[in-house]
Amino acid sequence: MSRKSVANLALVVVALLMPAAARGNEYYLHVYMMCAINTIAAVSLRSIAKTGQMSIGQAGFMAVGAYASSILATKMNLPVYWAMLMGGFASMLLAALIGFPLSRIRTVYFVTVTMFLGEIIRLVAFEWRSVTGGSTGLESIPPPAAFSMGILHVNFANRIYFCYLALFVLLFVILILYNIERSHAGTVLSAIGQEESLSASVGINVASYKVLILCVGCFFTGLAGSLYAHYMTVLNPDAFSIFTSLYVLIYVVVGGRAFAGPIVGAVILTLIPEIFAALKEYQPFVFVLILFLVVFLLPGGLTDLPRRIRESAGRTSAGEAG
Amino acid sequence: MLWQGLMNGLSAGWIYVLVALGLTLVFGIMRTVQFSHGEIYMLGAHTVYYCSVAMGINMIASFGIAAAALFLLGVIIERLLFRRFRGQIEPSIIVAIGLILLFQTVAVIAFGSNEKTVPRLIPGVLTIGEIRIAWDRVLTMCVGAGAMLVLFAFIKGTKLGQAMLASSQDPEAATLQGVNVNHVSAVAMGTGSALAAVAGGLMGSVFTVEPFMGSFAITKGLAVIILGGMGSIGGAVVGGLVLGLVDGVVSLYSSMTMAYIVGFALIVLVLIIRPKGLMGGD
Repeated sequence: MSRKSVANLALVVVALLMPAAARGNEYYLHVYMMCAINTIAAVSLRSIAKTGQMSIGQAGFMAVGAYASSILATKMNLPVYWAMLMGGFASMLLAALIGFPLSRIRTVYFVTVTMFLGEIIRLVAFEWRSVTGGSTGLESIPPPAAFSMGILHVNFANRIYFCYLALFVLLFVILILYNIERSHAGTVLSAIGQEESLSASVGINVASYKVLILCVGCFFTGLAGSLYAHYMTVLNPDAFSIFTSLYVLIYVVVGGRAFAGPIVGAVILTLIPEIFAALKEYQPFVFVLILFLVVFLLPGGLTDLPRRIRESAGRTSAGEAG
Repeated sequence: MLWQGLMNGLSAGWIYVLVALGLTLVFGIMRTVQFSHGEIYMLGAHTVYYCSVAMGINMIASFGIAAAALFLLGVIIERLLFRRFRGQIEPSIIVAIGLILLFQTVAVIAFGSNEKTVPRLIPGVLTIGEIRIAWDRVLTMCVGAGAMLVLFAFIKGTKLGQAMLASSQDPEAATLQGVNVNHVSAVAMGTGSALAAVAGGLMGSVFTVEPFMGSFAITKGLAVIILGGMGSIGGAVVGGLVLGLVDGVVSLYSSMTMAYIVGFALIVLVLIIRPKGLMGGD
């Protein structure tokens, strides 16, 4: 096995062991859960943004997933596992509906459209009291049903099982998106992101590919929203503000272009506010500092750091070359 | 009833024009992706509040101080942050997002997150027949209209204004014509920020002053210039009035939130069908 595969496997094992190690510590488990949810959203956004579709409206898609899933589970008594999947599909449906018109819009305008879309979704959730509970939102959202497998008794009243559910969803999302990236489709998507007009001129159906990855990404984003809703058991529109969307984008940008980028970005930037919580209202300064450091010094993101170090080490040891 | 709604809409419209004022210059004309413009507006509002209410300085001077201070801040952020990424959209957006977080945090720490009220600039209400409109809203309308005229005259009529237009259209060609693009960009950002400060100060007295008032300004401001067309000052006026009228009329029959939804949906449609906006060129 290559060094990289061993490293990745080790990380997965660590991720699997952490909730068990934190058993009983509600706070650590909560942070783990939020890391997982944020990472799902970040990984999805990166895949979408690779085609040039930089979205600052992902909170809107999470909201669609969260509300759809919660409403189906509470008002229609749909089993929660199905409700969460439906939440993902609801989000994907929205992406499919607006995807084609959106695919024709240039970057700056695209960013702005997604901002307004996210706001519209939040305002609708705020206004549509009969369905979404308005500003007070929904409560008593049920967790997934408990089950037993041999000696394993899974009861979601215990947070640890939520953590594992989120982890498995995350691993599934990573598996799917990584394989898409490595496939022929992934090459096409990358080409579209780099040179859209050129891609179109060689016969690539740019719009279809863009909509496709938007739908896939938004399905997972909706799923993240559903997980959030059933985990928190209460839901209101404040959770899906423009700042939530901006944070997801920041996770991707700070993490970097590589596939591991959003994972690194989401985990680190979810942990930072917790680590520096003692700073209270000064805590966002740490965030901002990291953001500016990355933008100015490390444009490739945190995952670019090893390469940068290797390069400068290579330069100093090689000395003056011809 | 309808006339009152239309009047409310018109007054809201001119307020949106006022709020979009600096953004028209910075985003529309100079094409800088200054998403933190709303926070500049917020800082301006707080400066006016602290000068006038906490320190007892007279209103006009307070506005002057706020405009000068935010002009300086605008120049600084252009020089230190935006100049480096001029023309590059993605890093500029990230820088702007960082500034939003920075300014909001500073405001919460320095000023506290509770709402503050600036006393009404002109008390009382103007009544024309059955229609009532508060005098301070009339003032904001007049300032909005006047400022737009001044900005229009500045861009079309002065060398500096034309230089700004030139340096955003084609920096190289502008440089060949003797325009110092860096200098012009800094002045544009400073002026835009000063305008935002004035808008914030006026709005602070119509509504309230609090650290999160900036998101209203940036969303409405962007909506106005997109509807009207980027780079067009006349477009900003048209965009603002249309948006205001939509808000005024829809809120008569439904709620304010519904009015916002309709307004934003309109913007989304414009961006899909005709991103240039109603009067945009280019």
